[in-house]
Amino acid sequence: MKGLRATFTLFAKECRLEFRTRELLTATVIFSLIIIVFFNFAFDPTPAEARRFGPGLLWIAFFFAGSLMVNPSFAREQINDTLDALRMAPIPSFAVLSAKMLANLLFLSIAEAILVPVFSIFYNVSLAGIVGRLILVLVLGTIGLVTTGTVFSAISAHARMRELLLPVLLLPFLTPLLIAAVSTTISLFGEARELDRTWMIFLIGFDVVFFTTSWLLSDFLAEG
Amino acid sequence: MNNFQFLFTAWMVVWAVFFVYEISVAKRVSHVREEIERLKQQLQER
Amino acid sequence: MKTRIPITIFVALLIFCGGYAALFVAPDEATMHEIQRIFYFHVPLWTAMTIAFSTACFSNIAWLASRRPTFDLLGVASAEVGILCCTGGLITGMLWGKPVWGIWWTWDPRLTSTFILWLLYISYLLLRELIEDPHRRATLSAVFGIFAYLDLPIVLLATTLWPRGQHPQPVLFGGPKSINHTMLMVFFVCMASIVGVMILVLMDRYRLERLRFEADELRVEIESREMDSQPAVQGTAGKGRS
Repeated sequence: MKGLRATFTLFAKECRLEFRTRELLTATVIFSLIIIVFFNFAFDPTPAEARRFGPGLLWIAFFFAGSLMVNPSFAREQINDTLDALRMAPIPSFAVLSAKMLANLLFLSIAEAILVPVFSIFYNVSLAGIVGRLILVLVLGTIGLVTTGTVFSAISAHARMRELLLPVLLLPFLTPLLIAAVSTTISLFGEARELDRTWMIFLIGFDVVFFTTSWLLSDFLAEG
Repeated sequence: MNNFQFLFTAWMVVWAVFFVYEISVAKRVSHVREEIERLKQQLQER
Repeated sequence: MKTRIPITIFVALLIFCGGYAALFVAPDEATMHEIQRIFYFHVPLWTAMTIAFSTACFSNIAWLASRRPTFDLLGVASAEVGILCCTGGLITGMLWGKPVWGIWWTWDPRLTSTFILWLLYISYLLLRELIEDPHRRATLSAVFGIFAYLDLPIVLLATTLWPRGQHPQPVLFGGPKSINHTMLMVFFVCMASIVGVMILVLMDRYRLERLRFEADELRVEIESREMDSQPAVQGTAGKGRS
């Protein structure tokens, strides 16, 4: 109970900090928009190609933007030594980690909620009848991304060149998640407009495995 | 390049990789050993 | 040190016998003929890589559990040697693939997952380079190492489900039930030689880490003696106004 209360208190703190300035959200949305626009100039896709490659483009934009978004999670705690204060607080170390995971999940989800309709308009991809299932896929993929991203942000916070190091650590690691998310989205955008069960189970499995691993190793992250 | 040349190249690559790495490790070991001797001398002088 | 020389001689003999057997003793394979002989180096390299990375993961867990420096040193040494074996495996794979498939590379499940593994452990070494504090470096890289190792079966599963198989089916595990007896014997000799070389290289790499650790301890000792020998700084409290 204490851990849960601490998690939500810290989550509220993260939200207050972010919504005061909205810097992270703005930068994430704009960066993703740039990737989406660049794709058009790089490939000049036909509508059929847009439907085929669109899921991949969308997820690459989210992954790149997400890996930049999770970077400040722990990096900004080093100013004024607030990270040490959090470590010394009488709360479970996983409470700190999970609060940041929840906050990153919220912020990236907001960015995705803005970007998916924009993508659908720019590339003439209809979302009729699949919105609910698309949201489910987005949530599962984003959970995997922010869970591991937040952990790696904690790891790279103490390293030099952390802004470059975090994507280098995170993106190869997320390859299976990318494959699963893209494959599920392709099957959703395709003619059958249905979710691929195997890939959905895979997504859930990825999230569970790495959320559990983060919980088991959170004390060592706090000590690092 | 014919098949035998590919085979020979693969065989050379395997042993070259290990050999070059081993030489690099040996060089680094000798540098660190010299460094340790120097540090031990410095410690004795204090 | 006493056991090192006989082990080295034994491994050198294995290398010689394995190489000779692979090139001249093993029978010609029915479809790929001589190029198939790369199999006697290619598969053992993957085995050596798996052993090295498993050792790295075990060391990472052992460091977090015990905090003994041995495990941190063994972790980085085995990760580096694993990358070495992985690189060899990827290159020999390309040299096998080009004459057989006509292409240097394909985004096949096995090749993709192996390349991802290679990237993950390169990132592990990069992470260690970029963290200054030794204790923090050991702890954080151990956490990352565990994540990286856990990711491997997941990458393999994802890429296997992904419909793009080019890599041939396994020969020994899950493949055809009968394999030529001579081929099997040659394979085991080559396996022993390459795994033996990997272990020797790992021992040397571990020794390098051990020496670096010793050098760092000496530096710390010298610095602490320098600080002890400096005169204590006099406080000015109570002296100011006359």
